[in-house]
Amino acid sequence: MRRTALLLRKDLRVLRRSPLLLAVLVSYPLLIALLLALVAGYANAKPRVAFVDNDNLPEKVEIGGRTFHVERTIRRVSDDVVLVPLERSEAERQLRNGKVVAIVRVPAGFVAQLRAMQRSPQLELETTRGLLASRVTQQMQALVYSLNRELQDAFIAANLRYVDLILHGGKGTFLGRRFDVLGLERAESRVRDPEVREFIEVAQLALDQTDDALEATANPIELRTNTAGGRTWALSAQVQAYALALVTTFLAAVLAGAALAAERDERVLQRLARGLASLGEVLASKVALAALVAAVLGLGVALAFGVAVEAAGVEGGEPWSRMPALVPALLLAGAVAGAFGALVATLAREARSATLVAVLVVLPIVFLGIVPREAAPAAGWVSDVLPFAHEVRLFDALLYELDPWRTVLVEAGWLLAIGTVLVAAARTLMRRLTA
Amino acid sequence: MIRARGVSRRYGAHVALHETDFDLSEGELVALVGPNGAGKTTLLSVLAGALEPSAGTVERRVPTGWAPQRPALYSRLTPRENVELFARLAGAPSAAVDLPERPAAELSVGQRQRLNLALAFLGEPRVLLLDEPTAALDDDRRAVLWQQVAALCAEGGAVVFATQLHEETERADRVVQLHGGHVE
Repeated sequence: MRRTALLLRKDLRVLRRSPLLLAVLVSYPLLIALLLALVAGYANAKPRVAFVDNDNLPEKVEIGGRTFHVERTIRRVSDDVVLVPLERSEAERQLRNGKVVAIVRVPAGFVAQLRAMQRSPQLELETTRGLLASRVTQQMQALVYSLNRELQDAFIAANLRYVDLILHGGKGTFLGRRFDVLGLERAESRVRDPEVREFIEVAQLALDQTDDALEATANPIELRTNTAGGRTWALSAQVQAYALALVTTFLAAVLAGAALAAERDERVLQRLARGLASLGEVLASKVALAALVAAVLGLGVALAFGVAVEAAGVEGGEPWSRMPALVPALLLAGAVAGAFGALVATLAREARSATLVAVLVVLPIVFLGIVPREAAPAAGWVSDVLPFAHEVRLFDALLYELDPWRTVLVEAGWLLAIGTVLVAAARTLMRRLTA
Repeated sequence: MIRARGVSRRYGAHVALHETDFDLSEGELVALVGPNGAGKTTLLSVLAGALEPSAGTVERRVPTGWAPQRPALYSRLTPRENVELFARLAGAPSAAVDLPERPAAELSVGQRQRLNLALAFLGEPRVLLLDEPTAALDDDRRAVLWQQVAALCAEGGAVVFATQLHEETERADRVVQLHGGHVE
């Protein structure tokens, strides 16, 4: 323990003398975190969708006595997707080369069918197999749903006008034919049969209720949507958890790997192996170095995010009260990443290779950790046996879940298990360093 | 003071040191000579415990100091910090070192070699294993080193050193010739 502490102190002293290295090690993962956030932001960007109008839609369409502005409807869709008016052949070409992710086609006769109110006209949606396609499908379904809502209102209004005609009589049009209706009110005064009069009275009462009933039948459940203030993506819990895990993993792995490999490059390991410090003690000092530096810098990153969250006046997180709990999590995550870095160093031939390999290996691990499990289940399985995804979930739960402890225990357990395996493997392979 | 039996060392398929026996007695000054790649460094490293033998045993009965051919030290630490750290790791008192207070990486080759030798003398070893110790040293420093070596041997200690210089072998009580990993 004393020897481990001596070596750790030496490593910290060496690190203090390498401010440029430290700055790069801190700024590089933050840069990656920012890029990831930008990619996440891009994922939220509007996909391009081709709009093929085979019906020559007019500016306005009148249905059931209500006027629909085609231009306004298209603009509303553009809140979610970029709708690009294209000829059919060009749209298909762009769908094939990926410039658009879907084609919305308005078939010929669409408006005429809509006006006739007899059959439901069809909008055609053609998508690619890409990840964005499902989003576009959902957005188009949402658009059709909202259009249907408006059309329903128009249709119901039209139907109610017919009911009104039946009740009170008057002139109307149906399927292009004009007609004059007597109406139940006037019919009642002309009928003498008491049973028929009673029927008319009941029918009038029933039809009076049609208005509300028809509305209720058309919309059994209504969804009222409110847009509440929330965090921007840059301050989102997910981005913060990614940033913490990235700083921890990247910094700790590279630092521990480089420190151990440097000791071999300087041929000091052979001197230490002469009974001055065991290989286990040397390994422990590197893991401790990684844990300590990850904790200090991770806490700095968390504090910086906390200040930004406060300054932006956003709510919904636990930036301050959970900070103390973050320290052991950072230590654990740093130690595991440090063990991983040490393992890389035992496999590499010298410090530069170790650093390069650590960077090259950490990046795919990070990207594997951010691939959604639903998108690629295999990536999720691989990520389960690597530390990054567990670190993200651990930090996310610790900072932002109301009741995080179950997740914390599970993820910490995973990290402990992974760390144990990595330390054992590194310890076994360390003999190569003095060979 | 040191007893090695059937010691060999392989690097993959290459055998750097074939089954070798070696004994070192009190007061002895032994020179290891031989062409490049003869196995001098490997034998010294194995005797020092810095390298595990592939086969055979090495018995060290007294504290042993070791100065490898290429200095083994922390290049980001100053000479004083290097000496303090290795002394504390060995549980030995630190020693003064007359070298500039700047990182070892910034020292001259000769200064680094002096630091390398200073580390070998930490903890008052009874046996010194020195791999080409005078390389890069100026005449004065060489003279000081040989005085220290002679003093140790006179006090009942022992020294084994590897060298390429014929005149240095004349100081030795015994010369061990190595060739192709074999003692001749």
